[in-house]
Amino acid sequence: MRTLLISLLAAIAVSVPALADDAPEPTAERSALDAEVQSLRREVVDLNRDLFMLEEDLLFPASTQIAVFVSMDIGTFFALDSVQIKVDDKEVANYLYTDRELEALKRGGVHRIWLGNLKAGEHEVVAFFTGKGTHERDYKRGTTLKVEKGVGAKYVELKISDRVRKLQPEFVVRVWE
Amino acid sequence: MLRRILVLAALAPCAIGAPAVEEAIPGLPAVKVRDLHYGDVLFYFYQHDHFDALVRLAAYRDQGHLAAHARDAELLRGGLYLSLGQHREAQEIFERILADAATPPEVRDRAWFYLGKVLYAAGLFAESERALQSSSGTLSPELDAERRLLLAQGFMYRQQYDRAIAELDVWQGPRLWLAYGQFNLGVALVRVGQKERGLGLLDSVGQIVSEWPELVALRDKANLAIGYAYLQAGEPAAARAALDRVRLSGPQSSKALLGAGWADAAAKQYEAALLPWQELQGRNLLDAAVQESYLAVPYAYAELGAMAQAVSYYEKAIAAYDAERSRIGESIGAIRSGRLLDAALKAERDGREGWFGQLADVPDSPESRYLYHLLAGHEFQEGLKNYRALEAMSKNLSGWSDSLGAFTDMVETRQKAFEMRLPAADARLATVDVAAVNGRRDALHARFETAIAERDVEALATEEERGQLDMLGEVDAELALHQGDAAYDDAREKARLARGVLLWKLDAAWKVRSWQGNRALRDLNAAVYDARTRETASMRAREGAPERNAALGARVKEASPRVAALGVRVDAAKSAQGRHLAEIAIEELEAQRHRLDEYSVQARYALATIYDRATANPPPTTPQGTP
Repeated sequence: MRTLLISLLAAIAVSVPALADDAPEPTAERSALDAEVQSLRREVVDLNRDLFMLEEDLLFPASTQIAVFVSMDIGTFFALDSVQIKVDDKEVANYLYTDRELEALKRGGVHRIWLGNLKAGEHEVVAFFTGKGTHERDYKRGTTLKVEKGVGAKYVELKISDRVRKLQPEFVVRVWE
Repeated sequence: MLRRILVLAALAPCAIGAPAVEEAIPGLPAVKVRDLHYGDVLFYFYQHDHFDALVRLAAYRDQGHLAAHARDAELLRGGLYLSLGQHREAQEIFERILADAATPPEVRDRAWFYLGKVLYAAGLFAESERALQSSSGTLSPELDAERRLLLAQGFMYRQQYDRAIAELDVWQGPRLWLAYGQFNLGVALVRVGQKERGLGLLDSVGQIVSEWPELVALRDKANLAIGYAYLQAGEPAAARAALDRVRLSGPQSSKALLGAGWADAAAKQYEAALLPWQELQGRNLLDAAVQESYLAVPYAYAELGAMAQAVSYYEKAIAAYDAERSRIGESIGAIRSGRLLDAALKAERDGREGWFGQLADVPDSPESRYLYHLLAGHEFQEGLKNYRALEAMSKNLSGWSDSLGAFTDMVETRQKAFEMRLPAADARLATVDVAAVNGRRDALHARFETAIAERDVEALATEEERGQLDMLGEVDAELALHQGDAAYDDAREKARLARGVLLWKLDAAWKVRSWQGNRALRDLNAAVYDARTRETASMRAREGAPERNAALGARVKEASPRVAALGVRVDAAKSAQGRHLAEIAIEELEAQRHRLDEYSVQARYALATIYDRATANPPPTTPQGTP
């Protein structure tokens, strides 16, 4: 019995790392399936790219398109909760950020909060930022921008940055052509 | 065993390879975004939503939104394909970046690194080595550490242990990577016969103090490897010391408990051996170490001469093996009916992370009972990844299929609305003659220029002044009829004086009025330009709208069969993948059932042997009346 158990033990010992980490050679069936999944994923990515562009061209043609983006640098003096956007006094977006999204913003990600259409001419864009300021105090700030919409697409960036000298957050609006 | 340790060592860094894809973006953590759309891609990328990030990246690139980040974006695209397991696409992208002579050195280094990683994943170790050797100098310490470990692992796969040792021997890197490096170095040294030094290094990894899950897991693996190495070498005390360092709750704990028992048994300390082995008996019987413990416990009792307990535990083992075999049978039935995959997908939290850990808590139903165990197998894990990817693709395509229906309606409605509004719009356009306005503007401009050139102050007179000038003209004409008549001298003098005053006023206002005139003309120019632009845009929209609508309609029409055809292929691949997973699961569970059969036979044989011995040597009967 002891010999038997020792041999079983040795078998288990040999199989210990294999259970966790060993990657066996793929079978022919698995290789074929892997190849098909890879090919499908490539085609689905390409299709999604085409449809993403089609959707934009259809719903938001460049002649009327306007996009509002939210960005953030360090965010030491302001913990963002939500952003509300009004265009010509009409609410077009009200977005509540998750922790994961805030982390992405802090790392340099930029959130396209609203994509819409505006006629040529002057429009008023108002953004309200809600969150916590220094000392955990509730903080709400608004910023207004007059946008002259021409024939091309218009991009507006709402940037939250730290004003170190005043120990205050700063909300900067910038228009990109 | 050592061969297997090498496999373990060679693959160890794979567990911490994933976050490195994020390093594909040069300049992390502070990315200065120069294109808002590139920032939008990063927004999804940093949330580990690699599919959406890739789609947006491809779309924005084609729309020309990423000009300021062209190279970074391309490198990120390669990294995203790599993270999605699309090695061929990733390789093509990295090779293209490297072929571009204008690629800066730091981007080039990263491209070499990722190309090396792609080739390594494809098992092309010699090619991977060449790529990884080409990358150096500007890599971050983390990427350089990963590069070095990939090189060493490639050498170990090719059994070039001396080269692996040379790569790792004097290297100092970030803590986590260094621990993996020491582990691999230890294994390589053992492999070339330097057991003492190799085990010493593994021992140092086995004694790392950390709360970092990666390092704690590595520490457990090192201790398990050392423990079994010493056990095989006949050094139970050293084996016990290493195995005691393995956590009781980690994935290696069952194997460590089994080994600890055997270390005690090897030192003839059977009572001590019972402690870890009995601890195992409360655990999942599908674990090989737990199955083994059901035989080991009665074996220890038998060695201690406690035959009654040995018999009892052998009977318990037989009952447990039989019950487990029956449960496996139920599960195989459930898997055949397709319920395993439903359970696997249901256990997934959000499709991104944490789902594997949660599987330990899935309900004990036939379809989900062995999920955790099955997922420990590489092939099942890879197959389930594919299945989940196909499931996500299927949902994605189904969503687009609905959207395309709406798009078709939208294009048709838009065309109808255009046709309805066209007559009214044409009528409005007909009333506008921007060319005539333009001509009048030009004439006015010419008059103003002449007045300025000739300093014609009267030309800039107001309406009132113009009336006064006209009145003075009429007075002068009347006075001309009475030329030489002295009675009109006074009137003539007054008229001259009035003209003088008026001209003096006009002359005084000249500077301001010419400036105002200039400004008014500039405003007029702008207004006429806007009118012309709007007229052109309106005409273009009027003429281009049907064409644009038709083009959009054609794109929608072209996309629909693509979505449908891909949907069919995805569903077929999903079914095939599901069947393949079920086959793997059933094969694995059948193997387990077969092993349980064997264990059951061994337990019955041992039980029979005890009964035979008991029959052959009956215990002496106790004389009646003995206290």
